[in-house]
Amino acid sequence: MPELPDLNPVVHGKMRLALLSLLAGVEEAEFTWLRGKTGSTDGNLGAQLLKLEEAGYISVEKRFVLRKPQTIYRITEPGRRALMEYVQALKQLLGAAIEV
Amino acid sequence: MTQPMDENEVKAQLNLIESMIAQGRRTTERWSWAFVLWGVAYIIALAWSTWGPFPAFAWPATMLAAGFASWIIGSRVESEKAETTLGRAMGSLWLATAITMFVLFPALGFSGHMLEVHVFIAVACAILGLANGASAMMLRWKTQLACAIAWWAASALSSVVTGNVAVVIFLAAIFLCNIVFGIYAMTRESRGQRAKGAVHA
Repeated sequence: MPELPDLNPVVHGKMRLALLSLLAGVEEAEFTWLRGKTGSTDGNLGAQLLKLEEAGYISVEKRFVLRKPQTIYRITEPGRRALMEYVQALKQLLGAAIEV
Repeated sequence: MTQPMDENEVKAQLNLIESMIAQGRRTTERWSWAFVLWGVAYIIALAWSTWGPFPAFAWPATMLAAGFASWIIGSRVESEKAETTLGRAMGSLWLATAITMFVLFPALGFSGHMLEVHVFIAVACAILGLANGASAMMLRWKTQLACAIAWWAASALSSVVTGNVAVVIFLAAIFLCNIVFGIYAMTRESRGQRAKGAVHA
């Protein structure tokens, strides 16, 4: 029987997976846009984004536009790679489940 | 180390990834109000230049006012956004269209070469057909492509009819392709906003 892949625990959390996937589809996104798309609270969203940032999967930029603070998030190359590896691992698991 | 997953959980995770990536890619700013605003502005300019005082100022003044209103509304609407390549392409297309019209028509007007109303209408309709056509092809949106075809047809027809008939054709195209289409797009946008779900950690 082939060995089943380990799933990356940072990517595996549902909110973090949603955030990484959303950022994979755009060039950059504001905190408020991510909050709107996920329907999350500020506290939870901030905590999950921090975990992704600490893992090096997203980068953060704070800037001011018309005197209003904006926090911009972008997926990094390691983040994109981690998401792709996670998808591959899921497909492998799905293949194994179908074989069983 | 993560907990083992069953087939349904794996499928749910894959669906979540797919739907979130698609939501991000579909993101374009909320812009359909601009169709309605510019449609109304064209009608005001047309009416003013036909019946109002100082007709020479009708188009420049109305277009500048519409441009200013677009800037004000746009800066408020864009407060929550994500940038995509598609969004930037769309923004560039409409900005280039606006610049083309703001450069071409005043230049023709001041130089005294804009002598026939149906030539102005034919050129304006062709430019609007080009912008709507390019946008429709990028968004793969058949309704907008129908608007582009209507603008191109209006352009061709305006070239062969009298000035008064060209004005009627222009008014019909503005009503259909700016006001009706803009209201339809606004309805679609608000439906899309309501359909958004929540993700829980």
